Amino acid sequence: MIQWRVLLQKEWRDHVRSLKILWIPLVFVLYGVMQPVTLYYMEDIMKAVGNMPEGFDMGIADMTSVEVISSTVGQFHLIVSLIIVLSFMGIISKERKNRTAALLYVRPISFASYYFSKWSGATIVALFSTIIGLLASYYYTVILYNEVEVWRIAALIGTYSLWVLFVVTVTVTASALFSTGVAGTLAILLTYFLQLIDSIIGQFWTVSPWKLGTYAVTWLGSKPDSSDFWLSVVVTVVAIIVLMLVGVFGARKNMENIKI
Amino acid sequence: MSSLLLMLLPIIIIQFILMIVALIDLVKIPQTNGPKWLWAIVIVFANILGPIIYFIFGRKQV
Amino acid sequence: MSQLLKVSALQKNYGQHEVIKNISFELIQGTATALIGPNGAGKTTILSMLAGLLKPTNGQIQFDGIAGDPRDAIGFLPQYPQFNTWLTASEFLIMAARLSGLTAQTAKEESEKMLQFVGLKDAVNKKIGTFSGGMKQRLGLAQAIIHKPKLLLLDEPVSALDPAGRLDMMNLMKSLQQEMTILYSTHILNDAEQMTDQLLFLKAGKLVEQGSLQDVKAKYEHRQIVVEFKVVEEAAQFVVNSTLSAEQQGNIVILQTDDMQQVIQELAKETFEIRKVEQQSASLEEIFMKVAKL
Repeated sequence: MIQWRVLLQKEWRDHVRSLKILWIPLVFVLYGVMQPVTLYYMEDIMKAVGNMPEGFDMGIADMTSVEVISSTVGQFHLIVSLIIVLSFMGIISKERKNRTAALLYVRPISFASYYFSKWSGATIVALFSTIIGLLASYYYTVILYNEVEVWRIAALIGTYSLWVLFVVTVTVTASALFSTGVAGTLAILLTYFLQLIDSIIGQFWTVSPWKLGTYAVTWLGSKPDSSDFWLSVVVTVVAIIVLMLVGVFGARKNMENIKI
Repeated sequence: MSSLLLMLLPIIIIQFILMIVALIDLVKIPQTNGPKWLWAIVIVFANILGPIIYFIFGRKQV
Repeated sequence: MSQLLKVSALQKNYGQHEVIKNISFELIQGTATALIGPNGAGKTTILSMLAGLLKPTNGQIQFDGIAGDPRDAIGFLPQYPQFNTWLTASEFLIMAARLSGLTAQTAKEESEKMLQFVGLKDAVNKKIGTFSGGMKQRLGLAQAIIHKPKLLLLDEPVSALDPAGRLDMMNLMKSLQQEMTILYSTHILNDAEQMTDQLLFLKAGKLVEQGSLQDVKAKYEHRQIVVEFKVVEEAAQFVVNSTLSAEQQGNIVILQTDDMQQVIQELAKETFEIRKVEQQSASLEEIFMKVAKL
């Protein structure tokens, strides 16, 4: 517990001093806000540019908050996993390669606290960024369009946060197991790519972590199908726990592969 | 049109902050992957993506 | 004197490649041991195994009188210590101390003491990224001793330093000798000669010679006495008359004997003007060259 805290403090300093705690939230807010604003002012913008045909109506002005937020989360979804994976793919593998691991691993550290300090640090940054990104999006949408019940947004953010936890865990574990390049590629495949696959041919199944993004959005309109949704949650939580255990094991096993 | 500006202002400000923070970091950091002047161009001219690409791929730190 | 560490039949293979071949030695508490060998002989591999970073393929490393995790009782300074450059010296040291089980309060106090000891008092709150190589080496030493280990492992602690830094580092190491057992590797023999109770000569993963400095020196001692004459002619005359096997090099005569008595008697037969008579001792450098040919 003490070791976890001491190591997490180091992670925190890293994320603060490498400015991750600043630029990742800013980028997420930007992507959360841009969509509602662009959609709302699309007609104005087009008119200002001046090449609108007479009587052209895009139907954008009639959009509801639900449609806008859905479309925003869709945009958001495209960059979130990409940025998380690229930012944290070296979180463990880099230390093995740049020799800093040697000075840690000579001390009697437990690899569980080591892994969890990495995981916790990345999770704090990723969740914080996700939540304020989505909140900013909600705020803009409500101002520009109509009200959305708060509990619906809370459910959306909660569901989406679980997806983000999944992405973080895949990334940190891949970094524990493999070199940075391999870890990044694998994590992109397992999050970004499989989520695309799921959106294309995913109608054949209803339970998967890659459906969480879709389920998050359905909280806005009706509600996701209860059993499908909760089963997906359970599957994702189990996957996260299994990945964590694999990550601890992998970090310990790779102890031999550090540069000294 | 003025309300459009009001709505766009936060976006522009955030973009600007990202750019400035990336530029300050670029000046302070001892080493980058590739020449610094190239990163400066990327940060300033590649819009939102510039600072993101810099923070992910440009910083070189142990 | 009691034994701290016993290494027996230590072996490390990478695939088919034997990096360390069947090495055995002991470390006595409170002594300094120099691990000598050319680059690539396996010094780092041995130290890493002792530090617990690598697992031996075969053989045993036994610590006497150390209960629990031996890493608590070991301090290790790698050859190229690499720190997170965005941490300050004091932040790094406190973290290192806490990971070795020191309380927050003790860690803070000890880190201050250690930074003072290694001469980094003025750089306490500076980012490590701004440190010179010598400063990093000092910080490396500080992190290796902050938890008061019984065994201190140093991998080429001075080889990357300039002469002044080297002297400082050697002095720091000497002042630690009373408190802990030291095992350090080097390929610079002058350094080894300055501080060593035991020598381990490593070559291509094998221990080719070991023993105390005196024993090793005695074993490879030149059996020769050097006489320096003032005048070349007298040297030549001495060589002609001497019953010993002698070789003249200008005004210097080298005699293949270690019988000083006999040399002095022979010299006394005539009235030579003599500058110097000495039993020549082998330098570690020469011994190393001989051992390396084994």
